[in-house]
Amino acid sequence: MSRKYLLLILAFGILLAVPSVIQDTFFLRIITEAILWIGLAISWDVLAGYTGYLNFGHGAFFGVGAYTTALLMNLCGCPFFVALPVAGVVAGIVALIAGIPTLRLKGAYFAIATWALARAVQQVALVMDITGGPDGMRLPTYLHPGFFYYLMLGVVAGIFALYWFLLEKAPFGLKVKAIREDDQSAMSLGLNPTKIKLQAFILSAIPAGILGAIYAYWITYIDPASVLGDLVTDQAVVMAVFGGLGTLIGPAIGAIIIFSFKTYFWAYLSNYQVLYLIILGGVIAAGVVFLPNGIWGTISGYLQTRRTLKQEPVVQEKTDKGAHHV
Amino acid sequence: MELLPQAMIDGFLIGGIYITIAIGFSLAYGVMHIIDFAVGEWIMLGAFLGYYLNLWTALDPFFLLPAIFLVFALIGYLVQPLVYRVISGKKGNPVLMGLVFTFGLALMFRGLALTSFGFYSHSIPSTISQNSYFLNMSGVFITIPYVRLAGLLYALAITLVLHFVLKKTNFGRAVRALAQHREASGLMGINAKRISSYVYGIYVGLSAMTGVIIGCIFTINAQMGGDYTVLAFFIVVLAGMGYLAGVPWAAFLLGLVQSFFLIYLNPSYTLMAVFVILFTILLISPKGLFGRGV
Repeated sequence: MSRKYLLLILAFGILLAVPSVIQDTFFLRIITEAILWIGLAISWDVLAGYTGYLNFGHGAFFGVGAYTTALLMNLCGCPFFVALPVAGVVAGIVALIAGIPTLRLKGAYFAIATWALARAVQQVALVMDITGGPDGMRLPTYLHPGFFYYLMLGVVAGIFALYWFLLEKAPFGLKVKAIREDDQSAMSLGLNPTKIKLQAFILSAIPAGILGAIYAYWITYIDPASVLGDLVTDQAVVMAVFGGLGTLIGPAIGAIIIFSFKTYFWAYLSNYQVLYLIILGGVIAAGVVFLPNGIWGTISGYLQTRRTLKQEPVVQEKTDKGAHHV
Repeated sequence: MELLPQAMIDGFLIGGIYITIAIGFSLAYGVMHIIDFAVGEWIMLGAFLGYYLNLWTALDPFFLLPAIFLVFALIGYLVQPLVYRVISGKKGNPVLMGLVFTFGLALMFRGLALTSFGFYSHSIPSTISQNSYFLNMSGVFITIPYVRLAGLLYALAITLVLHFVLKKTNFGRAVRALAQHREASGLMGINAKRISSYVYGIYVGLSAMTGVIIGCIFTINAQMGGDYTVLAFFIVVLAGMGYLAGVPWAAFLLGLVQSFFLIYLNPSYTLMAVFVILFTILLISPKGLFGRGV
């Protein structure tokens, strides 16, 4: 276990040093966006992988965060660091309102309702005057690639650490997993599934809103197609499914692979975005059929099997530390 | 007030189309317990096949329906084993994996359609139903386009045929048994795999045919799939998941909502209204309007 921490800290250290090594702002921008996608993929996975509820409207929270920031900064001239937490809170409130009726039901209803929510939110942004309709909105420009790199890195690392603590270390992780496996039994153990699912939903929506806020200020131009379109959700889903649901490292790996591929694809192979859509869909469908545990799930499963085979006496692995706190 | 009868007639006529969108979808859910995110894409692909067949053969789209049904029923029949493999897997959560799988399929289909058909909107001209029927009832004018009337008749015919098949034939009995209890029906000698394949084929074929009708009434483009997926979900949730008898009423309700928004309010808000209704229904009666869903 400690080796895993060392690797994570090492990765974080390398990422901290990146701007001083790479002077090319193009590559810095690409790495910043890759980090953004890591954040989106893991925040999607909190609900999908850990809690077992598919949110096909994750992009809506990203977009709500982006639009909240744009509106606050344009209309009342708020400084960015005031708008940033507000964006997260607004995304959380949207999740709360959308989650109350839908999370009481089976997963399929939730998947549908979040998907419909995303389309409805996009529609609202398209027809309202205050959001600029299809023309989108411009934000005050602040051109400083290093600032955004460190902001993104700090926020995503913070999200990762928070999730790691809550889902892997704290009893909350065990609760959501219990609900994922069997919510009837979880209820019989005295857990309130709806409340915990709602908490997980909000926990997954707030980071998406915050990342949307950073994205809006960074790119300085948002429109309904770019921040509220299907592609945000689609990519987060592919990254998490491809990397491995129900883990934090899996979606991060998936995000890095898919995003590198996307960048390479758009920069060098083709500028035809639609082909990318076919590949995304193909990767999701093939991933579900051939790699149901994702890349990370397959690798760690393989490693675990090998480790267990090496040890002669079969030792029960202490996976449920902290279970007695529940 | 003069527009009220027209709005109601319009809603009723559009609602007919929505029945066929949702009935196959609901059937597939009842039997296989799969929520197919690709339902709108099947509609879109069917519509485009109808469009091109109409261009090549110059036959009226209504005569092309059987051919389109057969082609897409075959495609559905061939795709189903993959879906079946995903939803009956041992690893992870098969139901969610089924959702993710069809989500991937939908993305792929949309990408393929955008690549090969382009971004433009088309419409399928139907020569036998070009005109409209004008009704003048003591100063209230009502227009009934024949093509919409034909669409409604088609929907009613499909509903009746499906009702007959499900209630009166052995195949229908097997389908209902499978929907009721999977293991028990297996013990009675029903081949779940084969029946599921047939049902999925029927569902895909129905959706594709409906796409052609939509092409005759409205316009089609490669990006339309998502809108119809939302509408199909809306109807099925409103009717109650897997409860077929509720589908027509939910479909007519949706048609009315849509035509009222079109005539009295801003049509851009239709999707928002649909979502608000869906939300309220889920809040008040999660099992649909009739409380009979799963």
